[in-house]
Amino acid sequence: MTEKHLKEGYYFWSGDVAAAEGAIAAGCRFYAGYPITPSSEVAETMALRLPQVGGKFIEMEDEIGSIAAIIGASWTGERSMTATSGPGISLMNENIGLAVMTEVPLVIVNAMRGAPSTGLPTLIGQGDLMQAKYGSHGSYEIITLYPNNIQEAFDLMFDAFNLAERYRVPVMYLLDGLLAHMYEKVYVPPREEWEKKIIRRKRAREGQLPYQPDEDMVPPMPLIGEGYNIHATGLTHDERGYPDLTPQAQEELVRRLNEKILKHERDIWKVEEYLTEDADIIVVSFGGESRAVKAGVNLARKEGIKAGMLRLITIWPFPWEYITKYSADYIVAELNYGQMYHLVREYSDNDVYQLNKMGGEIHTPEDVLKRIREVSS
Amino acid sequence: MSQMTDMRKTEEEWLRTERLPHVWCPGCGIGIVLNAFLRAVIRRNIPKEKMVVVSGIGCTGRTAGYVNVDSFHTTHGRAIPFAVGVKFARPDLNVVVFSGDGDLFAIGGNHFVNAARRNHDLLIIAVNNFTYGMTGGQHGPTTPTGAYTTTTPYGNPDRPFNIPHLAISLGAPYVARWTTYHVNQLQNSIYKALNMKGFRVIEIISQCPTVYGRRNSMRSPMSMMEYFQKNSVINNKASYEEMELTYKGKIVVGEFRNVGGIPSYEERYEEIIRRAQE
Amino acid sequence: MSQNKKFKRKATVKVLEERCKGCWYCVNYCPTKVLQVSEKMNSKGYHPPVFKENIDENVVCIGCHLCELYCPDFAIVVEELE
Ligand SMILES: Cc1ncc(C[n+]2csc(CCOP(=O)(O)OP(=O)(O)O)c2C)c(N)n1
Ligand code: SF4
Ligand code: SF4
Ligand code: SF4
Ligand SMILES: [Mg+2]
Repeated sequence: MTEKHLKEGYYFWSGDVAAAEGAIAAGCRFYAGYPITPSSEVAETMALRLPQVGGKFIEMEDEIGSIAAIIGASWTGERSMTATSGPGISLMNENIGLAVMTEVPLVIVNAMRGAPSTGLPTLIGQGDLMQAKYGSHGSYEIITLYPNNIQEAFDLMFDAFNLAERYRVPVMYLLDGLLAHMYEKVYVPPREEWEKKIIRRKRAREGQLPYQPDEDMVPPMPLIGEGYNIHATGLTHDERGYPDLTPQAQEELVRRLNEKILKHERDIWKVEEYLTEDADIIVVSFGGESRAVKAGVNLARKEGIKAGMLRLITIWPFPWEYITKYSADYIVAELNYGQMYHLVREYSDNDVYQLNKMGGEIHTPEDVLKRIREVSS
Repeated sequence: MSQMTDMRKTEEEWLRTERLPHVWCPGCGIGIVLNAFLRAVIRRNIPKEKMVVVSGIGCTGRTAGYVNVDSFHTTHGRAIPFAVGVKFARPDLNVVVFSGDGDLFAIGGNHFVNAARRNHDLLIIAVNNFTYGMTGGQHGPTTPTGAYTTTTPYGNPDRPFNIPHLAISLGAPYVARWTTYHVNQLQNSIYKALNMKGFRVIEIISQCPTVYGRRNSMRSPMSMMEYFQKNSVINNKASYEEMELTYKGKIVVGEFRNVGGIPSYEERYEEIIRRAQE
Repeated sequence: MSQNKKFKRKATVKVLEERCKGCWYCVNYCPTKVLQVSEKMNSKGYHPPVFKENIDENVVCIGCHLCELYCPDFAIVVEELE
């Protein structure tokens, strides 16, 4: 038996396949999931490829079971992942809260489709941005990443797993109906090179309690099977992990769960700034939609309008400093009734406009140009 | 020192004694089941770092908080799929799910059914107290028809699961039922199941005097125990009909299924890895 | 008085009084009735059992461990005499 790893070279992949291959390259060795369009090819790729590298794939009975299984697997030290679409995230939300509360690194892919409900199963939507952070009950922070091309769908998986491990937190990895099924060329570097990018879980100091944070507010994670006698509970708990059902314990724990992310937001943020330096009008967008936005901004520039694009690669924690740093007006282009619009408005001193479509397709570059013209006249 | 005295000492090491007394009510049967479980584990000489206990939510779900091994108090109904993740990732560990009837068979029923079907190598300790104890004694999937609970004030119109029948129909290789009165048989049954592979199910009929007993004329802990004692019949060869539980009726207990040689999911996946790497 | 005379003392019972919740399984299931409900109250307001051998020489503990097996609260330790 020999493990079969990716060889250096160029591949022609869909976003789903690239995300799955990226995950495996980033060290993922455990996948549990339940099929749903447009994410199913992530599962299919994992079923094929994980056993080739000694990993484990399991198709569970539903999404609730899937996320429960990857939480369990993550406690054994395996980098663990699931993939689904909006309806599946809705089912996973209770256990996303468990992973937040018990501080378990996970990567959860959501290939967004038109929503609410069953919506447009095969077509793009961007309606799950708020759900990504606010889906589970309670006040918490998680990390959300969102690529906009297939190379990035591969590369960004390293960030997803590294951030999950670094902050002991679930990372929501967004794709959409467009990226999931779109094919592009992807360069995969030699294995030695990509393996250097993998950041391993930090280990506890001698005598450190399972929920005793380091200076960075993140407690090192003990692993199952190493004699720690771990106890983890979704109840409010103390540093030993034991239930402590007091307002004081709640205050301390929930504050830390939020602040361990927010205090490091600058290290987490990733954005693409395109022609923003001198821009009078910046179009904020992300994912599949941003491909049209860039083309629209180029059209506007040809007309002499100083337009730029701010593409959010990190959706959560929201990279607000990239809004406050400019004195431009903003258009928020998104495939929903208006979600990130509210965030941009919160941080901008200037005018913020919307460009929305409810999903099913992205805007055309001409739609974007038209909106830029309207607001800059 | 005698073996039994030794056992009792070792048991203390397997408990998070700093958390005792536990949260369970006076006379609650869950502690008796935990006691039997720990003794069986100690007799099997399982190293502590090789044992993982996973619970869901409920009074029984609190068990994970008292065992001094890697132990997880998960979400309501999700103990089994959590345990599936642990076991599949680390097949060398002994993974035990210790949870309540509502947790395992109502909200978690789909996971029970499918994990049994796939024959994951898990031991399921299912504490059946006929009710949702933690939330104050509503009826659940194992409440006998006719029983009084806070949500069946006129008697339960609902029909309970026949858990051994369910587990056997799904192909579980080891299926037994005892009550908390049967402390020795229960311990031996767990002891036996710990040495087997696959999806093993032990149902324990347990007393919840506080919220179930008191609405069904068994207010004191002893009166529930007496009911178990008087009404239990040991019959390893019981038919499915005989395994059915009725309100204040007979409780057929025993070891209903014990077969070896069915490969577990984890074993079958080893073959998958071999094929993938050919 | 004592049919118990025919039994040999095999063990002594220690009660971890603070863990006891007064369910009386131990008292009820002891075959030689060597445990008894005490007057004493622990800090939670429960009456732990008392080991009668200490106060009544006619009763003996045969070291069957039933009290220990039935105690839901891990409040009993039966120590066998060498
Ligand atoms: C999603 C969800 N729904 C409902 C509850 C409330 N709840 C907590 S425990 C419980 C029932 C537990 O019953 P069982 O599993 O039989 O355990 P017992 O308390 O009887 O030991 C319920 C309904 C919950 N915690 N989570
Ligand atoms: S409510 Fe019932 S099941 Fe829960 S601890 Fe009390 S007696 Fe036990
Ligand atoms: S060991 Fe047996 S005889 Fe001795 S006190 Fe306990 S139940 Fe009674
Ligand atoms: S069985 Fe245990 S809890 Fe119950 S009365 Fe006896 S010592 Fe106390
Ligand atoms: Mg119950």
